[in-house]
Amino acid sequence: MAETLRDIARRISRPLFNSTRLINYYWQRTQRNKLAVFGLAFIIFLVTLAAIGPFFTADPTAVNFEEKEIPPVGFTTQQSIYNIESNQFIAKEIRGTWKHPLGTDSKGRDMLAMIVSGARVSLLVGLIATGIAIILGTIIGVLSAYLGGWVDNALMRFTDVMMTFPFFLLLVLIVFIFGPSLAFIVLAIGLTGWTGTARLIRSESLSLRTREFVVAAKALGASDNRVIFRHLIPNVISLIIIIATLSIPGVILAEAALSFIGLGDPTVPSWGAILESGQHTLNTAWWVAVEPGIMLFLTVLAFNFLGDGLRDAFDPKSNI
Amino acid sequence: MNNVILKVSQLKTYFFTRRGVVKAVDGVEFELRRGECLCLVGESGCGKTVTALSILRLFDSPPGKIVDGQISYDSLNLTKCSSKQMRKIRGKDIAIVFQEAQSALNPVLTIGDQITEQIKLHLSLDYNRTRDRAMTLLSEMGIPSAERVMSYYPHQLSGGMKQRVLIAMSLSCDPQILIADEPTTAVDVTIKAQILDIFRELKAKRQMSTIFITHDLAVVAEIGDRAVVMYGGKDVETAPVSEIISTPRHPYTIGLIDCLPDTSKSTGRLTSIPGTTPNPLEMPQGCTFHPRCPRVMKICSQQEPPETAISKEHKVSCYLYT
Repeated sequence: MAETLRDIARRISRPLFNSTRLINYYWQRTQRNKLAVFGLAFIIFLVTLAAIGPFFTADPTAVNFEEKEIPPVGFTTQQSIYNIESNQFIAKEIRGTWKHPLGTDSKGRDMLAMIVSGARVSLLVGLIATGIAIILGTIIGVLSAYLGGWVDNALMRFTDVMMTFPFFLLLVLIVFIFGPSLAFIVLAIGLTGWTGTARLIRSESLSLRTREFVVAAKALGASDNRVIFRHLIPNVISLIIIIATLSIPGVILAEAALSFIGLGDPTVPSWGAILESGQHTLNTAWWVAVEPGIMLFLTVLAFNFLGDGLRDAFDPKSNI
Repeated sequence: MNNVILKVSQLKTYFFTRRGVVKAVDGVEFELRRGECLCLVGESGCGKTVTALSILRLFDSPPGKIVDGQISYDSLNLTKCSSKQMRKIRGKDIAIVFQEAQSALNPVLTIGDQITEQIKLHLSLDYNRTRDRAMTLLSEMGIPSAERVMSYYPHQLSGGMKQRVLIAMSLSCDPQILIADEPTTAVDVTIKAQILDIFRELKAKRQMSTIFITHDLAVVAEIGDRAVVMYGGKDVETAPVSEIISTPRHPYTIGLIDCLPDTSKSTGRLTSIPGTTPNPLEMPQGCTFHPRCPRVMKICSQQEPPETAISKEHKVSCYLYT
């Protein structure tokens, strides 16, 4: 297992760092797909934002009713403010300021700070849940293909059952039972999202296991464990990278959807949760819902573009 | 008979498929003596490779199964060993070199990784000594700048280099027995000569006991000490190589030798044995060769011929000699 992880790390890093030609080759293949380059750039931007952004922005939980529903810079809105002296509502024009570049929500929280910390939550959810799903899917897929026979049958029928079970309903059920904690949501998405990966990895491994190097490894006295972790899994790494990239957006969306219907973790300001809180004030403060929506849209798009680009670049058969 | 290092007796490996039982190996018998090069000869599909895989129990099971027979090595019966025992024997005591070097090497691991793998598995050496050992082996196999080659991936090497790497790998734990499964089939003529040289050297320097599987009688003549001719999953003739070439007895062996191009008589077409290898699902009754045999007799289709000793070293299974 440790050796596999080392192999995986090295398989990704060493050939690339040792051989500038290979970097150039993959870079050029990816570059030909402009959208993939945009996706990569946006993801890098997002990761940087999530990693260091929270140190520079205001406290996303600081409530300030004096400054509620301020629009983003460049926008103005009408607000009715109750005047005690005249005992009536006065219409007042409010202009966006650079103090809150993206405006504030109905409780006066800074939207920029919320978006930035939401990026952190969404990316973490995406990466961890995908990680769990990919690891599970890979192990189940490879085991299924390698052991064959009744093990294969049992694992694949189990996969079928998991696939036919409505994924979202299961999530709702899990959240309902265990309570809306982010850790459980991530775990739930990870534990249910491995089915597609398992199928793909199985089909790839089925053709790999008949290759002679598997017999050769056994002829050297390698155990099944060793064959699986040292010879089969490193061969499906490029497939795993592609699946991971393409399944991250799905996971981010799933978490956002859960938050949107009110089953998200109320203590964590994820994009989905901000979106949900924004829909109540859609009349007076549209930006609270629109901003996280745009971020979700761009993030999902970026990961999809990058995934497509990588798939084309890693596939020697495609001529882009 | 302390001289015998591996004895295969009445080995039967069947494959139980949906369409019926494939008797890939059906009663093979031979012994490998210390330091000799024993050749298994025969057409494609006669059970040479399955015999080799049976010795190491490397065929897919199911559907394959050793239904009968014994493989005695070092007071062990390999057909009865536990899979854990087998893993210790594979690579350390008995090593195998596969036919296609290209597919027998893992494309995503470096040569160094793959060659040190079994040294790590079987011998507990530290990192540096493992690497040293691997590099010594590579240079022994005639690979220049072994240190560089260690960090190469298989696709960066030529076919002949890969075959040498494979041989180096199989030798890395000083096995007692080396099984070579058509190591010269997938390479061109010059490489073939070099690889045969390596095997000859192995025999001279290490007194390696080798089972060399081939369909090429020219190769047999060049490096074999004794040869076992196989047909339809059985051994039909066993003799020292010089006798097989000069005085073949079994009609099948005679046919094989007649197929060799003879440069002294350069006229006329090459002869071939009529017919094809039998369908393993429907082996002919009696002697499996009788439908193609030019000297077939009535009894051949009724009963399996017994093994007859022509001399102490020359055995043949054919009714012509009973």
